[in-house]
Amino acid sequence: MNEVAAPAGRLARLGWRLRPRRFGLRARILIVFTLGAFALAAFLAAVTYGLTRSTLLRQRDDAAIDQAYANARRVEEDLRSNPTNLQPILADLPGTSQPLVWYRSAWASRNADFGPTSLPASLRDTVIGGTPARMIYDRAGKRTLAVGVPIPQSSAAYFEISSLDELGDTLGSVGVSAIGASAITTALGVAAGAWAARRATRPLGAAAQAARAIAGGGLDTRLEAVDDPDLKVLADSFNDMVSTLQRRVEQDARFASDVSHELRSPLTTLSNSAQFLHSRRDELPERAAAAVDLLVADVGRFQGLVEDLLEISRFDAGAVKLTLDELVLAEFVRQAVAASAVPSGNGVEPPSDSTVKIVVDPRAEHLVARLDKRRMLRVLANLLENARHYGAGDVTVEVIPATPPDEPVTNVQIAVEDHGPGVPPEERTLVFERFARGVSAGRRGAGEGAGLGLALVDEHVRLHGGRVWVTDRLDGEEGARFVIELPVVAEEEMIPEEIP
Amino acid sequence: MATRILTVEDDERIRAAVKLALEDEGWTVVETSNGEDAIDAFHASPPDIVLIDIMLPGMDGFELCRSLRRTSDVPIIMVTARNDTHDVVAGLEAGADDYLTKPFVPKELSARIRALLRRVRPTKPGHARLTFGDLEVVPDEGKVLKGGQEMHLTKTEFRLLCELAADPGKVLSRETLLDRVWGYGYFGDGRLVDVHVHRLRTKVEADPANPRHVVTVRGLGYRLQG
Repeated sequence: MNEVAAPAGRLARLGWRLRPRRFGLRARILIVFTLGAFALAAFLAAVTYGLTRSTLLRQRDDAAIDQAYANARRVEEDLRSNPTNLQPILADLPGTSQPLVWYRSAWASRNADFGPTSLPASLRDTVIGGTPARMIYDRAGKRTLAVGVPIPQSSAAYFEISSLDELGDTLGSVGVSAIGASAITTALGVAAGAWAARRATRPLGAAAQAARAIAGGGLDTRLEAVDDPDLKVLADSFNDMVSTLQRRVEQDARFASDVSHELRSPLTTLSNSAQFLHSRRDELPERAAAAVDLLVADVGRFQGLVEDLLEISRFDAGAVKLTLDELVLAEFVRQAVAASAVPSGNGVEPPSDSTVKIVVDPRAEHLVARLDKRRMLRVLANLLENARHYGAGDVTVEVIPATPPDEPVTNVQIAVEDHGPGVPPEERTLVFERFARGVSAGRRGAGEGAGLGLALVDEHVRLHGGRVWVTDRLDGEEGARFVIELPVVAEEEMIPEEIP
Repeated sequence: MATRILTVEDDERIRAAVKLALEDEGWTVVETSNGEDAIDAFHASPPDIVLIDIMLPGMDGFELCRSLRRTSDVPIIMVTARNDTHDVVAGLEAGADDYLTKPFVPKELSARIRALLRRVRPTKPGHARLTFGDLEVVPDEGKVLKGGQEMHLTKTEFRLLCELAADPGKVLSRETLLDRVWGYGYFGDGRLVDVHVHRLRTKVEADPANPRHVVTVRGLGYRLQG
C-alpha cells in the first residue's frame, strides 16, 4: 500500500506546487498586459499634459511680457507729450488685456471693473518700487496673469492683466484627450493580453484535450508539430510519452493475444486426446477413469479460460466487431437459458439441482434488440453459470421494460436473481473486474472459472450500448440480482412483415 | 464403404489427436500436412469430407479450398484460429461448407461431419420439379437448371436452394435455414447462411447484386421467388 501511496503523494505535492497562487495562467497574462498598458498610457499622458501645459504657459507669458513692454513704451511716450490725460492713451492700446497705469500716485484704467485692487499688493509694490515683475494669481476665481513694467522717467508704472481662462480650456481638452488615449491604450492592452493569453495557453489546451483523448483509449492521438522551439520541447516529449505508452499497451495486448493463440494448438490436441480417453472410460481401471474425468473436466475449463482471454485481448486491441442481428429479446432469453442447460460437450456439465424460471413482462414480450448472438449468449451463459455456482437453489430470469408503464419502451432489462449470499455493496464494482479474486472468499468473483466471466459480461454489454450492475434481490430475501440494461429497436424502425 | 476424411493440418500432434478421435467414430482418416500434398491425396483417392486448417505453410487454407472447389463439390470444413469475421467469411467465401474454431472439441467436429454427410444424401422426397421463372429445381435428381442449362452447385448450396424452394414465396429466417441445412440450433452462426446465400446468388442470379430469385427480407431472412 505504501509503495502505491508514495508516488501518488509526490505527484500531489508537485501538483500543489505547480498550481498558481490565486489566478490561472491566462488571468495572470491578462493582468500583466492590462497593468502594463495602463501604466505606460498614464505615464505618456502625464508627460504630454505637462509638456503642453508648460509650453503653452511660456508662450503666453512671453507674449504678455512682450506686449506689456511695448505698451509701456507707448504709454511712456504719450506721457512725455501729453502728461495729463491718460484715458485716450489707454483706449488706443492694442490687445484684449486690461491695461492699468499708476501715475503720480493715481490709478487709471480702461475698464472701470479693473483697479489697483485687481492686482496683488506684492506685485504693485515691487513694480512701483522700480522692478518689472509678472505674476499668476486667482482673481475672482479665475486664473489671471499680470505683468508690471515700471516707467521711472515719468514716475509711473504700467500693468497689464489678462485672463488665462482660455488656456485652461485648451489644457482641459488636452487632458481629456490624454485620458481618452490612455483608456484606448489600456483597452488595447487588455485585448492584446487576452490574445496573448489564449495564444500562450492554446498548446496547453491542445495537450489537455489530447491527454483526455488518450485516457479515453485513443492511443493514436498526438500533438501537432509546432515551429516554436519552446513548445516543440513540450509537444515532442508529450508525443514520445504517448508513443511509449502506446507501444507498451499494444505489447501487453499482443502478448495476451499471442499467448492465447499459442495455447490453441496444444489445447486442441489435449481436448481431442482427452475425449478419446474418455470414450474408452469403461475399459480403464477405476482410478485411471477418475483421473480421465478430472482431465476432461479441466481441459474444458482451460479451454473456456483461453477463449475468455482471447476475447478480452480482442477488446484490449480494440478489434471487436459485433455481428448484429435484430432479435426478439424474450425468445433470445428463452433460447439462451435452454442452451445453457444443455451439456456443452467439453466435460463441464451444468448442475442439475437448480432450475431456471423465466418471467417475461407482457410489455417486453415482443421487444426487439440488436444483438451479437454469440456474444450475448455468452453474457447470459456467464450470468446463469454465476448464479448457479454461487446461488444455492433456483434462479429467476426476468425480462422487463426499463421505462415507466405509460411511456414507450426504449430500454429493456434482463435480470438474473439467485439465492446465494449476495454481493456486498463495496464489492459491486469490483466483481466486474478481471480476475477479481480479491472479493470476499467463497462469494461471487472468487472461486473457479470466475476470473474473466463477469469482466467479459461488462465489456460485451457495454459494446451493445448497455450496462450491467448488481444489486440486492427485489423481494428482500438474501441473494444477488444482476441486471443488464439494453436499448431496444423502436417499432417504427422495423419492417413489418409476417414472421414464418 | 467407410467414410473417408482428408485432414490438412501442419501440427502433427493435432493431426494425430484428431485422427484418433475421428477413427473412434468409424471413419477412415487420410492425413496431409500441406496444401500441395492435400491436392495430390485428393486426386489419388477422392475423400467424402475435407478438413482444412487455414494456417498452412506454403499454400494457405483459403487457396487450397478455392483450388479444390474448381473441380469438386466435396464438403469442406475449415478450421480457423480465430472467430473473427475476416477468417470465417473468407473461409466460407473460398468455398467451405462449415467452419470450426480452434480449440475445438471432437464431439463438435464429428457433429459437423455427420451434418455434412446427411446433406450429401438426398433430401426428403417431395416435389419432383419446382420452377421459379428461368430457374428450375429438381430435388430428387439433385439438379438445378437456369434457362434450361444445368448449374453446378455444392451440396450445401443445393440443400439451401431446396429448403427455400420447398416453401416458395415464404420467408425463412436464418435460424430456420441454419437448423434445416446445417443442423445448428438457434445460436448457429448466421454468417454461414449469409455467405452461402451470396455464393448461391453468384450462380443462379443474372445480376447477383440485384437478386431476383433469392431475396433478402431485411431483419427476417430470405425468400425464393420466380
